[in-house]
Amino acid sequence: MYQYDEFDRTFVSERVAEFRDQTRRFLAGELSEDEFRPLRLRNGLYIQTHAPMLRVAIPYGLLSTRQLRMLAHIARRYDRGFGHFSTRQNIQYNWPKLAEVPDILAELATVEMHAIQTSGNCIRNVTSDHLAGVASDELEDPRPWCELIRQWSTLHPEFTYLPRKFKIAVTGASNDRSVSAVHDIGLRLVRGPDGETGFEVLVGGGLGRMPIIGKRIREWLPQHELLAYLDAILRVYNRYGRRDNIHRARIKVLVKSLGIEEFSRQVEAEFAANHAVAPHADAATIARLRASFAPPPYLSLPDADESVGASTAFLAWYRHNTRAHKVSGYRVVFISLKKHGEAPGDMTDAQMDALADLADRHSFGEVRVTHDQNLVLADVPQRDLRELHGALTPLGLATPNIGTLTDMICCPGLDFCSLANAGSIGIAKQIHAQFDDLDYLYDLGEIQVKMSGCMNACGHHHIGHIGILGVDKHGEEWYQITLGGSASGEVALGEVIGPSVSKPHVAATIARIVDVYVERRESDNETFLQVVRRLGIAPFKERVYAPDSVAA
Amino acid sequence: MRQILWQREVSADRWRYPGEAGAGPVVQTLAELLADSGAAAGDAMVGVRLGPTDEVALLAPLLARVALVVVQFEPSGDGRGYSQGQLLRQRYGYTGELRASGAIRRDYLFLLARCGFDSFEFAAGEDPHAALAHLERYSVAYQSASGKLVQPRLRA
Repeated sequence: MYQYDEFDRTFVSERVAEFRDQTRRFLAGELSEDEFRPLRLRNGLYIQTHAPMLRVAIPYGLLSTRQLRMLAHIARRYDRGFGHFSTRQNIQYNWPKLAEVPDILAELATVEMHAIQTSGNCIRNVTSDHLAGVASDELEDPRPWCELIRQWSTLHPEFTYLPRKFKIAVTGASNDRSVSAVHDIGLRLVRGPDGETGFEVLVGGGLGRMPIIGKRIREWLPQHELLAYLDAILRVYNRYGRRDNIHRARIKVLVKSLGIEEFSRQVEAEFAANHAVAPHADAATIARLRASFAPPPYLSLPDADESVGASTAFLAWYRHNTRAHKVSGYRVVFISLKKHGEAPGDMTDAQMDALADLADRHSFGEVRVTHDQNLVLADVPQRDLRELHGALTPLGLATPNIGTLTDMICCPGLDFCSLANAGSIGIAKQIHAQFDDLDYLYDLGEIQVKMSGCMNACGHHHIGHIGILGVDKHGEEWYQITLGGSASGEVALGEVIGPSVSKPHVAATIARIVDVYVERRESDNETFLQVVRRLGIAPFKERVYAPDSVAA
Repeated sequence: MRQILWQREVSADRWRYPGEAGAGPVVQTLAELLADSGAAAGDAMVGVRLGPTDEVALLAPLLARVALVVVQFEPSGDGRGYSQGQLLRQRYGYTGELRASGAIRRDYLFLLARCGFDSFEFAAGEDPHAALAHLERYSVAYQSASGKLVQPRLRA
C-alpha cells in the first residue's frame, strides 16, 4: 500500500499542529463556535448527540495492521472501546473528548493517518472497490488513482470551501462495487478507442433527499488528464453551485438545472481554457503510485478443495464469507461485522487487535473496509482458511451471513447522530431476531437491506434491494420501505411501497415481503431483486398492507 | 483607520470604501466600473470590489487600469472568492493588489495566499501582526497554484 514519504509526513504533522492551535483558541474563547465549526469539520470532528464524533479517514478503505492496531488503541484510550465503520470506508468514534482530539490526530499521524476532510463542504475521502487488485473482473487497479486524487484534493487551495460536500469514487472493475453512479463524481477505468485505459466520468449522482444516478459527462478521458478534468468540474461547481439552500447545494442540483449538455459544455470550456496551468500527473508520479500497490509476494499454490472433511460451520462460512481470488491457491475472506446483537459496522478494540494479528499471519498485513460495513482480508492462502475460521469464530467475527438479508447496511441513527429522525440500530436487532435461522437466510439468497435513520441516506437505503428509511411522525419513529434498489450492475433507486410502518412492525413487514418472494420466485435461482423487477411492487404492497397485517 | 496586511506589511488602508470620508481613491463596484469604463479611460488607477457572483471575465479587459481588487468573502464559508483569485492571477494575468475582505481570520491566510491574495482585511478582533505568521502554516503543498506571497515546497 501507499507509504508516506517525508513530504506527506511533514504535511500531516503541520496539519495536526494547526488543529491543536485552533482547538486551543476555541477552548480559550478566541474562536467562536461559528468560527470553529468549519475548521473542526474539515478535521472530521462533529458535535453529536452525546459527545463529539470523530471520523477518521481510511483512504479508499485500505489499512495496514499497524494502522488497525492504532485504531484499536484510540478506541481504548480515548473512546469506549469500539469504533464504527461507515459506508464511506471510514471509522467513527462516538465518545472522544474535544480537548483530546489534537492528541488523537497526533497519534494517528504516527501511523500515516488523519481525519482531514472527512466532513465539511469539501472533497471527502475518495472511496473505491474493496476487491481492488484481487478481483478477476478488474481492468486496472483503481488505487493508484485514488491516492493521486487523495493528494490532489488534500487542502486544495481553491476547492476547500465548496457549496457542499463532494464525494468521488473510483472503480476499475466491470462489476462496480464502489457504487460510483451515486457519487458526485464516479470514475470508471475503461478501455478507449485505441485500447488505451482511461476513465469514463459520471457526474451528479447522489442519494440524500434527491436520489439521482450520475450522468456520463465523458465517455473516455485519458489518464494523464484526470486531475485537469477534475479541476474543471470542481471550478464550475465552486463558482456556480447553489449556496442559498443547503438542500440544493450538491453538484447534482447544478447538473440537473443546467442539463448535462450545458454543464458538460461549461466543463469542457473550462478544461480547455485552463489546460496550460492545470495539474497533469507525470509518468514518473503515476509509476511511483502504481508501484505502491504492486501485488504482495504471492506463493505459488494450487487451488484446493476445501470441502473435504470440513465441518458444517466451516463450510457455511466458506460458502458465504469467502470469494474467488484471481491468484490460484488464494481466497478473499470477508469479516462480517453484522453479528446478531451488535450494531452493524461496530468493532471492539480487542477484535481490531486480534484481527490485525490474523491479517499479519494470513493476509500480508493488510485489511480493507467495505462500503457495506464489513472488513476484508484480501489475500488469504486457501490452506490457511480452516485455521483462520477457527480463530475468527471465538472473536465473533465469523458470522456466516455475508450477502444475506442480515448483512445489513445501517447508519448510527438516532442512538448517536444528531441528524437522525429515527433509530436504525434497534431495527437491525429486530431484523436479526426475526431472521435468526441461517438455513432460511441461505435459502433466500442475496437480499441487500440498507437502512438510514434520516433522508440524508448515509445507509444508502435508496439502493437497497429492501430500503428502510427512518422518518419522524409527530415525534414517533416510523419507517418507510422501498423495494428494487440496486447498487451494482444496473444501478436502480428503490420504489416506496406505501405508507411508513411503525417501529415494532418493521421486521414483520420485511418478513411479509420476503414471503411474497418465496411464493412467487420461479426457481431457486431467481433472486429477490429479479422477482421484484419482474413483478413490480404491487404484490408486495398488497401483502404488506393486507387488512390483517400489522402495517394496515 | 482600517488596517490592512498587504505584502506582509501591516499598514493603514490607502483606499476608501464607498461612503467613507477622508482622503484616497474610492473603491468602485464592478457595475460602476463597467458603466464608467469609456469615460474614465486614461484616468488614474482604480480599485474595484467584487461580490461572490461577479464574473471576473468582465473585469479582465479593464485590468490594465486596476490597482486593487477587493474580493468579498461571506462569513458563511462561501468559497467562490478562491476561484475568483485564481482566475484573476492565472488566467487574466492580474498583478496588482488582490485583497480578501470580509470576516477573514488567520486560519484562512495560507489558502487565500495560495490563490493569489496578497492583501487581507481581517475580522474585528483579529490581530494582523499575529496573523502574519500563519502564512507559513504549511511548508508543503500538494497542488501548484497562482499565489506568489507564499511558496510552499511542492513534491519533487
